[in-house]
Amino acid sequence: MTGEPYFRKLLVYFLLIALALSFFAPVAMMLLGSFKPDDEVLLQGGGLLSALPADFSWFNYQDVFARVPFLRYLFNSALIGACIVAGGLLVNSMAGYAFARLRWSGRERLLVVVVALMIIPLEAIAVPLFYQVTLLGWRDTYWVQIIPFVANAFAIYLFYSFFLDLPKELEEAACIDGAGPWRIFFSIVAPNAKPVFATVAVLTFLTQWGAFLWPLMVTHSEAVRPLPLGIAMFYSLPPLQWGDIFAFGVMMVMPVLLIFVLFQRWFVQGVATTGIKG
Amino acid sequence: MIATGEQENKRNKRLAWLFVLPALLGLLLFVLIPFLLAVMLSFTNLRLGSPLPLEFVGFNQYRRIFADEAFMAALRNNALFALIVVPLQTALALLLALLVNQPLRGMTVFRSLFFMPVVFPLSLVAVVWILVFAPGPQGLLNHVLDTLSLGGWRPRDFLHDPAWALPAISLTSIWQGVGFQMVILLAALQGIPRELYDAARVDGADRWQQFVFITLPQLRNAMIFVVLVTTILAFRLFDQVQIMTQGGPNHATTTVMYEAVNTAFGSQQVARAAAMTVVFFLVVLLITLLQRAVARHKGVYE
Amino acid sequence: MCVMRLEAATRGLLLGFALLSSGCQQPSSDDVLVLQVWAHAGQAAEREVLRAQLARFNQQYDDIQLNLTLIPERDYNAQVQAAALAGDLPDVLEFDGPYLYNYIWQRHLRPLEDLLPQSLLDDLLPSIVAQGSYGEHLYSVGVYDSGLGLYAQRSALENVGARIPVSNEEAWSIGEFNQILERLAALDEDRAVLDIKLNYSGEWYTYGFSPLLQSAGADLIERESYQASDGTINSPAAVSVMQTLQDWIEAGYVDPNLDDAAFTSGRVALSWVGHWEYARYRDVYPDDLLLLPLPDFGRGSRTGQGSWNWGITSHSPHPRAAAQFIEFLMRTHEVLVMCEANAAVPGTRSAVRQSALYGDEGPLALFAAQLLQGVSVPRPKTPAYPVITTEFQKAFQRIRNGGDVAQALDTAAEKIDQDIVDNQGYPFLPR
Repeated sequence: MTGEPYFRKLLVYFLLIALALSFFAPVAMMLLGSFKPDDEVLLQGGGLLSALPADFSWFNYQDVFARVPFLRYLFNSALIGACIVAGGLLVNSMAGYAFARLRWSGRERLLVVVVALMIIPLEAIAVPLFYQVTLLGWRDTYWVQIIPFVANAFAIYLFYSFFLDLPKELEEAACIDGAGPWRIFFSIVAPNAKPVFATVAVLTFLTQWGAFLWPLMVTHSEAVRPLPLGIAMFYSLPPLQWGDIFAFGVMMVMPVLLIFVLFQRWFVQGVATTGIKG
Repeated sequence: MIATGEQENKRNKRLAWLFVLPALLGLLLFVLIPFLLAVMLSFTNLRLGSPLPLEFVGFNQYRRIFADEAFMAALRNNALFALIVVPLQTALALLLALLVNQPLRGMTVFRSLFFMPVVFPLSLVAVVWILVFAPGPQGLLNHVLDTLSLGGWRPRDFLHDPAWALPAISLTSIWQGVGFQMVILLAALQGIPRELYDAARVDGADRWQQFVFITLPQLRNAMIFVVLVTTILAFRLFDQVQIMTQGGPNHATTTVMYEAVNTAFGSQQVARAAAMTVVFFLVVLLITLLQRAVARHKGVYE
Repeated sequence: MCVMRLEAATRGLLLGFALLSSGCQQPSSDDVLVLQVWAHAGQAAEREVLRAQLARFNQQYDDIQLNLTLIPERDYNAQVQAAALAGDLPDVLEFDGPYLYNYIWQRHLRPLEDLLPQSLLDDLLPSIVAQGSYGEHLYSVGVYDSGLGLYAQRSALENVGARIPVSNEEAWSIGEFNQILERLAALDEDRAVLDIKLNYSGEWYTYGFSPLLQSAGADLIERESYQASDGTINSPAAVSVMQTLQDWIEAGYVDPNLDDAAFTSGRVALSWVGHWEYARYRDVYPDDLLLLPLPDFGRGSRTGQGSWNWGITSHSPHPRAAAQFIEFLMRTHEVLVMCEANAAVPGTRSAVRQSALYGDEGPLALFAAQLLQGVSVPRPKTPAYPVITTEFQKAFQRIRNGGDVAQALDTAAEKIDQDIVDNQGYPFLPR
């Protein structure tokens, strides 16, 4: 658009920067805090500049590695996340496709059930589910942290919305060529649905990365302990070890941030065509 | 659309079932059945670990929770929280999406910055924001407000003040969640055909009119989706309350999920907690159905 | 009928998992017994010591192999409870003070007096014995106990002309204490002169402040039959104690202590906390640090006790080996090593005598004296403890935030009593 007054551009940039700063401030606190000793965690009465570390030091990071097997926790969280995402992408996309494109009895009613299930949070079913997995003998394993979360109502709904809006020409062409639903889905629809796959992958991974209550209930050994339980080590009474917590937090967020940055372009595109028609 | 022949039809139907079976099985085993179990449990007096025999108590647990001031406060707070957060977060997300959609340089950076909080696990967010809300002039927010108001701001202990605690938690939640909505709305914005705007400008519409008569209607579906999901998530509020305020001060920030978890693990009353989650489910289901009905009524097609 | 089927199904499910609870223990190979040990992940020094102790034990007794799992302290009870439900408990594990009784009630622990030598049992501090006993048996022993008191800067107190108590009997009366607070506040820029660790969460509030109730003649629950809190936790004496606390907070005397540095940075002159802060405080004030008893609310200064203690699970197939481990940990040398790491009060008399900190001339002798003389009061020994402490903590939070004191305590009493009724008074059922 030509002829835009400078004023408007300035206003936009000003708003953006102001908002961005407020968004970034807590993150900055965490980042800066990870390089300071624990008792400097509050502003030291020198205005905002006192938030900067007096003595920049990697101590907290070293301390985290010294105190807990961080890499093990990282591996565990990554493994569990990857399995849930991989399994989930397969299973939920197929279901979403079936709801969107295939005709079968009970489709509408089951869709309503799926939407209703979206409401149920993990906390509501944690105890009965706990009894169930105990009966199955799954406690203190990777499986117990993976299997219950592969099928996901929210993911199914996202896939369903996306596939609804996908232009039908490609599928119709394949149909005329005699391809069955299997082939259509795996060879044609899925490859053209990369955006929604990326979206669901990132969202699912994000949710699992921070999961705390469930691993708390079903695991105890360090071998399968994920990151959120690991950071709890630093919350023990007495003093809260802010520096360590922040260092741990920074390291915990890095991988996911990286994934987001990499997938960013896909992500925005993906949601665009998710046909969010209620 | 999937074609001809009865036999093929039947085979396709079976294939359809194969497509949904794994996911549905998973949902059945790990969501539906535990929930039904929870419903069953809510009619007993199950305790977390007790040598006493299990007893069936009918609607006793339900009677108890509705007589419990903490639970009623929790229901109120959840409603209040949803009423505050859903419109505010949606409006902010829309603003951010509009800003970031401008054809100016560096928008990718801003987009990443606004999305960054979404990447943080809620528990970590809560811990960091405890420091942001630290009382006294050393706390970040107090300090910033003091600077902005040129010294006219009295430092407050946000998390321990009955009037400020819920707004504080709301702020934390909005900070964490708005990036996700922004991305959804941004994508929808980018999907609006340029021609509509061009035509409107030709007809002499100014920016405001373009916004109201083109942008908003085109965004309607995305907005409805965003409102629905945010409402559901708002009712599930737990982590921030657990970490930042523990339901206080004086039940000002307790939520249904918080009460349920602490009833189950703190007071060890599993059955009572189950009753709470059943009530929770029914309430949210009702609201969700209402939202969808309103959306449909306003002429939005599925 | 639908109702019956519901009940039957639930029973069936629980029976199923109860069957599973008959213990899934590690198989031992040949002559080496493998024991699972769980401990809380406390301070770094404690963890190092424990690991070293296990290593030494493994070396000394090569027919027993100990596997240690450290569990984050904050969620320790939750994890143990979950494991207990699933029948996944280890052979030997720690318990956090008064949470012990609930597990005893659930029949997860076995008595120890027939497994440990009499000489050890006689050597234990009376507070340790009090803590570990329930019914007619001893179910746990603690390597160390805890001390709770008031740390102070001598110079600050001398500045305001305060009397300095040197023993429990000389503790300040509450009137005196209020005066001292006032005088200190007058000299302090932000008026915050007392640190009561408001930045801590959870059990601290019951541990650190229920002794005040006892000092005033009230309590958390009546200790005759442990059946009711009403009239005890919300008695006028209790209300007046908590009101005093609230008054301190509202007068601005209390520092929120978010950075946990109120005392060490000199912002406050008094710090109300336990033995675990001694090392840090001594480093900052090597010559100026005082340890004082808590103020007396009328019936004498009282203080808290209780800490982590070790027990053997009833399903363990190797109780004798487990007892050998506990005995090892309770040897004077081992006790002293651990107490050196965490500055806690040693759990045996012999260790106390030899301790530099807690021996007769030691700087923390006050703590030892309190435990030996019965000035310390154990937290209520009842399976209802988890509920009692949860409700007291909730009441404390409401009071701390300015809520009505009497109401908060009344609500707590109501909830606690309700829970006791729900559990039929927590009867100790025969097997």
